[in-house]
Parts: sequence; C-alpha cells; structure tokens
Amino acid sequence: MKQISSDFAPPLKLISPFFRFGVIFYALAMTALLFFTPDFHYAQMDIAGWVHLFLLGFVMMVIFGAMAQLVPVVLETGHAVVEVYYIIMPLLLIGSIVMVAGFWLTPVLLPYGGLLVLVAMIIFAVENFATLRKSTLKSLTVDTVTWSNGYLLLGILTGFAIALGLAGEIGIHIDLMLKAHVYAVLGGYVVLTIMGLSLILIPMFSLAHGFEERAIKWAFKMVVSGVAIVFLAALTGFESGMYIGYLVTIIGIFFYLWQIYLIARLTVRKELDIWAKSMLFAYGSLMLSIVLGIVYFLNDKESILHASVWFLLMGFVASMITGHLYKIVPFLVWFERFAPLVGKQKVPMLHEMYSKEGASMFFWFTASGVVLSGMGLLFENGLFFKAGGSFLVAGAMFLVMTMEKMLAYGSEKLEIRN
Amino acid sequence: MCDITKEAVFDAISTVIDPEVGFNLVEMGLIYDAIIDDDCNVHVIMTLSTQGCPLHQMITQWVKEAVERIEGVGEVDVEVVWEPAWNISMADENVKKALGGV
Repeated sequence: MKQISSDFAPPLKLISPFFRFGVIFYALAMTALLFFTPDFHYAQMDIAGWVHLFLLGFVMMVIFGAMAQLVPVVLETGHAVVEVYYIIMPLLLIGSIVMVAGFWLTPVLLPYGGLLVLVAMIIFAVENFATLRKSTLKSLTVDTVTWSNGYLLLGILTGFAIALGLAGEIGIHIDLMLKAHVYAVLGGYVVLTIMGLSLILIPMFSLAHGFEERAIKWAFKMVVSGVAIVFLAALTGFESGMYIGYLVTIIGIFFYLWQIYLIARLTVRKELDIWAKSMLFAYGSLMLSIVLGIVYFLNDKESILHASVWFLLMGFVASMITGHLYKIVPFLVWFERFAPLVGKQKVPMLHEMYSKEGASMFFWFTASGVVLSGMGLLFENGLFFKAGGSFLVAGAMFLVMTMEKMLAYGSEKLEIRN
Repeated sequence: MCDITKEAVFDAISTVIDPEVGFNLVEMGLIYDAIIDDDCNVHVIMTLSTQGCPLHQMITQWVKEAVERIEGVGEVDVEVVWEPAWNISMADENVKKALGGV
C-alpha cells in the first residue's frame, strides 16, 4: 500500500507547546492589564513590557506554531528542517520572559532576553527561507512569506539594537529606532503574514471560490512598499517620509479589506461558528482602527492613537489568531489521533472537538472586553478600561480551558489503544 | 466482463467523510467520475474543495482504500483534477441547505 507522506504534517508534540504557552501568555497579558491605567505614553518601559508579553509571548508564539503547520500547506513542500522548532520554542519562551522582566524589573536583562529572541527568530526565518528554496510554487502567498520573513529579521535586529541601547551598551537614537522596529515587526511581519495566510485560510474555511485576486496583489505591493518607506524614513529621521509610508500602508490595507469583501461575497458556509464570529469582529476592529488612526492624524490627540493601536492589536490581530486556533488545533489533534482510524471506526468531526459553549463564552467576554477597554483608552476613562480588562481576563480563562481540552481530546483513547 | 458498477464505486466512496464540513465526498460533489475497465480496475477522478487542503494525500488514500473494499475490484487509482474547479452548485441539495448556500 502507498505510504502516506507525513512531510506536510509536523507532529503534534512539536506544535502543541507553541499554542499551549501562547494562550497562557495571552492570559497573563490580559491579567496584567488590570494593573495599568489608560493615561500613558507609548514609550514607557512598563507599556513596552506589556507589548512584548503580548506580541512575543502570544502573537509570535502562536504564529510560529501555526507556521510550522501552515508553511508546508502554503508552499506545497515539506519543511527544510522541521526539528528546529524544538529549539525555537524554548528560546522564544525564555527570551520572552527575560525580556518582559527586563522591561518591568531591570533593563540589564534586556540584551539577554533580546539575544535569545533574536536567535529564535533568526533560526525561524532561515528555516523558512530554506523551505522557500525547496518550493517550486509561485504564488502571492509565497511572496508574502518571503517579504514578511525579511521584515522579521530587520525588526528583530533593530529591536536587539534598542535592547543594547536601553542597557547602556551602545549609543543609538532609541526613539527613531523604536519606530523602525515597531513598523517592521507589526506592519512588516504580523500584518503581512496575516494578509498572506488569510488569503489561503479564509476561502478554505468559508468554501469561497472563483474570486478575483487583483485587490490583494495591490494590497501586498502597497503594504510591502509602505513598510519599507516608514522603516527607512524612521532610521534616517525623515519625518515626512514616514507619513508617506503610513499613507501607502493604509491604502494597501484598504485594498486588503476590499479583497476580503470579495471573498466574503462568495462564501458558501453561512454558519456563524466561533471562527466566523472572530473574523467578523477582527475585520470590524481593523476598520475601526483605521478610522481612529486617520482621526489621530487630523487632531493629534494621543488617546485616539492608543485606541487605534488597541483595536488593531486586540481587536484585529488577536481575534484573527484566536479564531483560527479553533480551526487549526482540532485539525492537528484529529490528524495525529484520528486520521489513522478513518475507515476502521467512527471518528469525530473537527467541530465536535472543542466546547462550543466554552468558545462562545471566550468570544463574548473578549469582544465585550476589547470594546470596553478601547472606550476606556479613547476617553481616558479608568473605570471602562478596568471593566474591559476584567472581561478580557474572564475570556482568557475560557481560551486556556478550551485549548487544554482541544489538545487533550482523544489522548485517553490513544493511551488505551497503545 | 466486470460487474462492478459506477454506482457501487460511488457508494463505496460515500463512506469517506470530510472531517471539516461533516459531509461525504460524493454528496459534496467532489467525485467527478469513476472509470471501470473490463478487468475491474477502477480509475477515480475527483477534486478537492481547496487546492491547499492539508488532507490532500490522506483523502485520496481514503478514497482508494474505500474502493479497494469492493469485492472483486482490481487495481484502483485516484486522480485529483482542478478543472472544472469545485463550487457549491456541484453539491447535493442537503449539503447546500446545511451550509447555508441556498
């Protein structure tokens, strides 16, 4: 009998720690919100600590785990060296903790944490480039993976320079470097990666077919160019150039939203499951974030910028990630534990592998929390901000519990069989 | 002369279920044809709902194994094609209704 290739499917034990620790970091980040007030400056060390807890501990951790599984799907070839993910995981985990401790306790720790994260990300990017070289496929998503990994390297190198600067090791213009770092990581890596993967995943899960791809091609070109302009302008202190870069990026994101609308029009599956609700909330938040961003440029009130970034990170990025977790994790568990049983005994459907009630509680607590805290930031109202934080903590508990249940699904039967 | 019919092949494949949507491949409209020669060798022509499907290899393997369970069948091979591209109009009415397509 023909052997089924396992090249495209890394083992669950390799990927699951990324998701397990990712959601724990998410819960810690939500809990930490309770100790903040909505009146702050973005360059404060405690704010930088929270942003790194959220972005490194949750966003990057989950994206890296997801990429271990999705890169072969997107590139239609196996990983060059999938085992490096066993090294990336502890480096990123410890590096994130040390960096957050550096921001919250003592900056002396920052270069050490930064170095661990730098090594983890270099390994990740190099493995991705090696896998890209194996692939003969030419597609927009392949280009997106290439560019996003390039920006990730630039982002982490500037981040490491900032860590050395804060620890007093080198003399650099931290404020300018910070803008280049934030834009390369957030715009260049996170947003580009989400754009590229959503073009594959959203039609796959919604069963949409036959849509035009012109809008996403423009979106991709504009965002790649916009990030490059902001990055170079920030490093050279050319402020007008940065505004041009912001504008180009926003136009690119409008093209992306247009593409998503084209896909949504052709969606076959109308069921409003946790994934569909998360997508609706994510794109609604992205639109709100853009509107608030434009308002900020018109009247320069910092609280509006805070609310805009909040809806981008917590409304768009976090919802895109958590919504997809309820699709990706059941698939990985099913693939490992139940796929070999197909045709021999009854196997569960993917949607039966997570608690609908738990996922629903997670969604509603989180969506309410994002909106309440966003209002708290916008109006600098501590009560709204803390109330939202409480909702987010409650939501995070449901996320952690449902994740554990998904990862454990079928493991007892597997032990009995073994 | 082979007495295995196309209906028997489709019936066998209808035991294969897409775990994501919960419908079998035949009612999803993913099985385009089954060609049976005089020696009972079966050539299945099918598609998938998406080209990036991570279950691609497994699903074709399940289809092969399902057809191989038919008594008296010879060699079975499965060809995945992307033209014509699958769309919801190819699915059975119950699938369209359940997915919200009608």
